[in-house]
Amino acid sequence: MTIDELNALGANTKEGLARCAGKEAFYLQLIPKVLDAGKYTELDNLLKEKKYDEAFEVAHSLKGVLANLSLTPVFEPVSEITEGLRTKKDLNYEDLLNKMWDARNRFAELL
Amino acid sequence: MSDFVRRRLNMKRKVLIVDDEEINRLILQNILEPDYEVVLASNGKEALDVVKEEGNRFSLILLDLLMPVMDGYEFFNNLKKDEKYSQIPVIVLTSEKEEELKSLSIGVADFIPKPYDVPEVIKARIGRIIQLYEDHDIITATQFDTLTGLFNKEYFCEYASMADQYYPQDEKDMIAINVNRFHVINAIHGRDFGDEVLAVIGKVLKDYVNENRGIACHFDADTFYVYVKSKDHAEGLHDAICNSLKIILEDSELRIRLGIYKNASANPDFGRRIDYALLACNSLKGSFKEYAAYYDEDIIKNVHYKEMLIRDLDRALSERQFKVFFQPKYAIQKGEPELSSAEALIRWIHPEHGMISPGVFIPLFENNGLISKVDHYVWKEAAETVAKWKKEYGKSIPVSVNVSRVDMMNDGLVSDIKSIVEEAGIDRSEFLLEITESAYTDDKSQIIGLVNELRSEGFKIEMDDFGTGYSSLNMLTDLPFDVLKLDMVFVRNIHTDDRARKLVKFIMEIANFLRVTTIAEGVELKEQYEILKEMGCDVIQGYYFSKPLPEEEFEKLLKGE
Repeated sequence: MTIDELNALGANTKEGLARCAGKEAFYLQLIPKVLDAGKYTELDNLLKEKKYDEAFEVAHSLKGVLANLSLTPVFEPVSEITEGLRTKKDLNYEDLLNKMWDARNRFAELL
Repeated sequence: MSDFVRRRLNMKRKVLIVDDEEINRLILQNILEPDYEVVLASNGKEALDVVKEEGNRFSLILLDLLMPVMDGYEFFNNLKKDEKYSQIPVIVLTSEKEEELKSLSIGVADFIPKPYDVPEVIKARIGRIIQLYEDHDIITATQFDTLTGLFNKEYFCEYASMADQYYPQDEKDMIAINVNRFHVINAIHGRDFGDEVLAVIGKVLKDYVNENRGIACHFDADTFYVYVKSKDHAEGLHDAICNSLKIILEDSELRIRLGIYKNASANPDFGRRIDYALLACNSLKGSFKEYAAYYDEDIIKNVHYKEMLIRDLDRALSERQFKVFFQPKYAIQKGEPELSSAEALIRWIHPEHGMISPGVFIPLFENNGLISKVDHYVWKEAAETVAKWKKEYGKSIPVSVNVSRVDMMNDGLVSDIKSIVEEAGIDRSEFLLEITESAYTDDKSQIIGLVNELRSEGFKIEMDDFGTGYSSLNMLTDLPFDVLKLDMVFVRNIHTDDRARKLVKFIMEIANFLRVTTIAEGVELKEQYEILKEMGCDVIQGYYFSKPLPEEEFEKLLKGE
């Protein structure tokens, strides 16, 4: 996995790297952690079980990490899910989850 | 304050990062670690444990709000509840606008938005907050007295002037508060206990000024000041202090003095406000009835007058402004009353202020130790007069002189008195030494040693003011003296009050038991004289026979005129 590969998938690595004080190795070391399937699966399950409050907490936390690393394509659907859960809007979560998984999986393939 | 020390010692400050997301923790750690020592916690509970373990060594806590187990708000509330850690600044990490406002409103120092800013911005933000809190700590540590929690004197003056600016319409009183004989409390119970007493007073004053719109300070040692909106404060303030101290002190040990300068705010000189309140407070020294005094013109006049007396003393001695008077004492048990001795009493005839009462200058000089000079003067005059009377009238009239407490501290006292008597060429038995009863009770062993030495040199000791010094009966048998001088307060009502008469009779019996001579002072009336004679009193002194006389007048008695 390289910075260029991440950029090619739409990550804003310039921003993400800046938060890591420009330390590329450190930044790249964090990416696998954020792509760990655990949190995504947890969010997926909670939404399917309609446990919206718990789902909000997971989505919110995932959103924060994705934002800090600027993995924009994954961040965007997670952010939408978070806002939907916060405002208790009746969104099409399945669609958003699919978008989230797609983006996440594309990045995960780089690992 | 510990942060201040850390900064002065150029130590790395410690920051606690609390976030449930490992990545967020690592990013912040990476930003901060070159400059700070970083400790990580993944939820509020873990963070609380870390804080308790580390003490208050954290300069800052970076806190996520949404966390499992214990969220940021709960952690913050717990932290603030504990006085030990409540001063640690907390910066909240949040991506929510509403949370920014909410967290600031509950007292967090600042917030850092998520996603994070560039490291420089975060570091600048963190550095600024740490410095702000450290400076605040330093100011807090400097402005308060650690023992009492009150302002120290410098900040008291500052805040008083602020109070004047903010509440110019309020008249304010300056009150000096002093613990009477605080050194005795320290001596008996130890310094730690003394500190406890001061801390209790501090707490009372803090509450009092909070309720009465004022400020308070621990000025020094056992002196406090309160600057407060004017009203009648004396009783309320005095009772509040005494009631709190009663828990740890006996009633008898406890005396609080208040010096009140009413409407002190009208005096533009802040130093004067402090001084005048203290003058009023000090005017109560020696008074056991009053606990509050108000500053007025008389107090300042009195201070100036006393300063004048102190200043003029040396000149008065060299110019012989002091005159020694002699009050005759009559032996009454052998037929007709017979002039047996005299007491030397001093008068100051000041060239500008006329006759100054010994009741004014003797206590003043006793307090500042100058009484030794006066005593020495009297001793010499008295000894020379006894010698003169012997020579000119062929009569030996012993004269008694006062020996003050301060004199007894003087190692050379015995040799001084011996040389005065020798120089005058009189017998030691003609020079009687009066020591007040209360001096015996002050420092029993030291006085007893000294009195024994004087007696072994042939001097006779009269115990003066007997009945006012609170000697126990048991103690009396140990005290060396030759003559018991009954204080005039016992004689005053002897002819009208049965109880007074019985008391004097009892004292006479004690004297008889101790085989000492008795002298009654202040005898003014025939009835008093007759009662005392019947009771067996040996010698009478008082206006019934004669007031104190100048030397020339006394000599007329010797000539039999």
